[in-house]
Amino acid sequence: MTSISTSTAAFYDRSTTDIASLRKRAETLQQQIGGGNRLSRSSDDPVAASRLRMLQRSDSLSQIDDTNAGRANADLTLADSALSTFADYITRAKDLSTQAANGTLTVEQRAGIGYELQQIYGNLISLANSRDSNGHSLFGGEAPGDAYSVDASGNATYIGTASSGDLALGDGQKITRGMTGPEILNFDLNGTPTNLLAVVKGLADDLQTGTGDRQQAASDGMTALAKGLDTITTAQTVIGSRLNWIELTGDRRTNLGELRATEEDKVGGIDLATSISELQQTMTVLEASQASFSKLSGLSLFNMLN
Amino acid sequence: MASDLLGIGKSGAIAARIALDVTAQNITNASTDGYIRRSVQLAEASASGGYGRVGDVSLSGVRLDKVVRNADMFRQSEVRRTGADAARAEAEVTGLQNIEDSLEQSGVYNAVVAFEGSLQQLASDPIDTSLRASVVETARTMTRTMNIAAQSLDQAGQGLQFEATDGVNQVNTLAAELARVNLRLARAADASSDQTTLLDQRDSLLEKLSQYTDVTTTISADDTVTVKVGGPSGETLVAGGTATPLAMAISPTDGTLSFTIGGNAVTPLGGSLAGKAQALVKLDEIRTGLDDIAKTLADTVNAAQATGDDLAGNPATAMFTGTTAATIGLAFNDGTKIATAPLNSGPDSRDQTNLAALQTALGNLDPAGKTDALIFNISSAVQGRTVTRDALESIATTAKITLSAQAGVSLDNEAANLVRYQQAFQASGRIMQVAQDTFNSILSLK
Repeated sequence: MTSISTSTAAFYDRSTTDIASLRKRAETLQQQIGGGNRLSRSSDDPVAASRLRMLQRSDSLSQIDDTNAGRANADLTLADSALSTFADYITRAKDLSTQAANGTLTVEQRAGIGYELQQIYGNLISLANSRDSNGHSLFGGEAPGDAYSVDASGNATYIGTASSGDLALGDGQKITRGMTGPEILNFDLNGTPTNLLAVVKGLADDLQTGTGDRQQAASDGMTALAKGLDTITTAQTVIGSRLNWIELTGDRRTNLGELRATEEDKVGGIDLATSISELQQTMTVLEASQASFSKLSGLSLFNMLN
Repeated sequence: MASDLLGIGKSGAIAARIALDVTAQNITNASTDGYIRRSVQLAEASASGGYGRVGDVSLSGVRLDKVVRNADMFRQSEVRRTGADAARAEAEVTGLQNIEDSLEQSGVYNAVVAFEGSLQQLASDPIDTSLRASVVETARTMTRTMNIAAQSLDQAGQGLQFEATDGVNQVNTLAAELARVNLRLARAADASSDQTTLLDQRDSLLEKLSQYTDVTTTISADDTVTVKVGGPSGETLVAGGTATPLAMAISPTDGTLSFTIGGNAVTPLGGSLAGKAQALVKLDEIRTGLDDIAKTLADTVNAAQATGDDLAGNPATAMFTGTTAATIGLAFNDGTKIATAPLNSGPDSRDQTNLAALQTALGNLDPAGKTDALIFNISSAVQGRTVTRDALESIATTAKITLSAQAGVSLDNEAANLVRYQQAFQASGRIMQVAQDTFNSILSLK
């Protein structure tokens, strides 16, 4: 005798399986909504998870780029303000040499001007040896200590490295983080290479103890100082454009960061409206299943037979 | 005239009693695992007339022909086959998920990214001791997370091996029991309740066995079963009253499993043993990948250290020790020993050519990308297998429910049967009453 019917165990098995799968679906949705995240583990969506890892990596490296750009910005701003001070001193030195070039001045008066120039020279040396935000020389390239050393007779010699080194700003962009002493102080005078420190020192010496025509020396010094001032102004322009570049890459980083955040949200986030309505739908079906289960399971022939 | 009304009534009452017993047995076993619904098959008890007595009425009532076990062999073997597939997929997915967790939760990826980041930050000021210390600390975190990942992978592997060992023991216990059931089946009387119980046991054992390994069954005329593992051409696990033990060996080099029955190699095609064996193969692949990342990373950094000077201006030494993810460690704790400057550049050099070279070399090696690829490898395996698992599980569930619908007990049916056989019993009693009344009417003739 073969009878095709649904056995009691089959009914319970099937109902349990159906209700359990609905419950599981509802719980997954609830978890996603609660966490605001579609993925609880990589295997939920391996491609999206891998993309998220890459985006988070870019994010964390971008934050470091941000810190580095901040340092470069601070160093260049320091260099810029140092150059402004340089320019002020040179302007003052130019004024003094203009006075000294005046034929009515006595030798003693010129020597007095020369003495003031010597003070300016000392200030220029300490300015050239000023430090950056990390405590390293601002104009010494990659040298650890001072940029200029001063010998017994007061002559300054550049002891830094030839270049300042680059700093990565992310996306393969780099910036030269500073200016070396020769870049801001060296210039050609009538075809002869010289530097601003030597010019000021020479002028101060000539006016105080020179043997030649001190008025002529002051007049020559004026020309040289004017050229030196040009070099410094040029250096300031360079620094200004670098600061500008840092700002540009910073803007770009911010934009890319926003794009990444949008993509992260798109790849790994959930759409609340869709998820909540889907949860509601699942819950409705689940409630219906549970209600019909309790009705059907109460429907036994044994209850009818007395 | 050989009929006996009282006898006919009695046989009917007995048959109804047996049918009621069987119905009661069905009802009480409605939720017993492996119980197959029984039904009674009755046959008429009558004799044909002998020579010269053709016209005689010779009726003897009813007799129990046999207790029918409503098992469908095809559906049962489907349940075993699909069940073995589902068990294999489930075991594999669980194993792979453990591997995924080991790799992902240990945070190797984030640690590698942090190490890269700390090097990039060091570039902003290579002689800053706090930035150097930060590189050392991120390197330490990286080596530790690799150690943890390797350890967790090992533990996942050991767990799988332990469970597989237990599975083999279960298979052998079940096989021995099956052999005993075979022996008793060969001796049991046909269609007896003893035989039906043994058949239930046999099928239940086979179903349990199919959770651990694939089973190919051949059922002979005396209802004993021959079981093969590893497909139809595999090795014989149980034949008649003999069970050949299944043995398992764990490879000491890569931790993978191999099985033998009676000394002959066999590969289970289904069941949890097959799933665990597959998961262990994947585990070996992932561990090799992680070891490779750890080794190449250590080699690259150490090679860069060899071409540079430390902060004190001395030739730098190797930064990492060890060649595997489990053994990788830091060779020094002092941040000043990181070689950012090229050789012979003197103490406190801000020259970061060597650091830049290291960053380029690491960029080419791309350990973070490789780690990501490794996590992707295992997580996509988990995802793919999960889809397969879900499909196989729903197939297995359907097969089980189909079998249960056909072979299981329906309480409504049994309720109806209860009423039916009760009525049959009462009717038979009535026959006996009639027989007595008839007899009394003859006795009362005066």
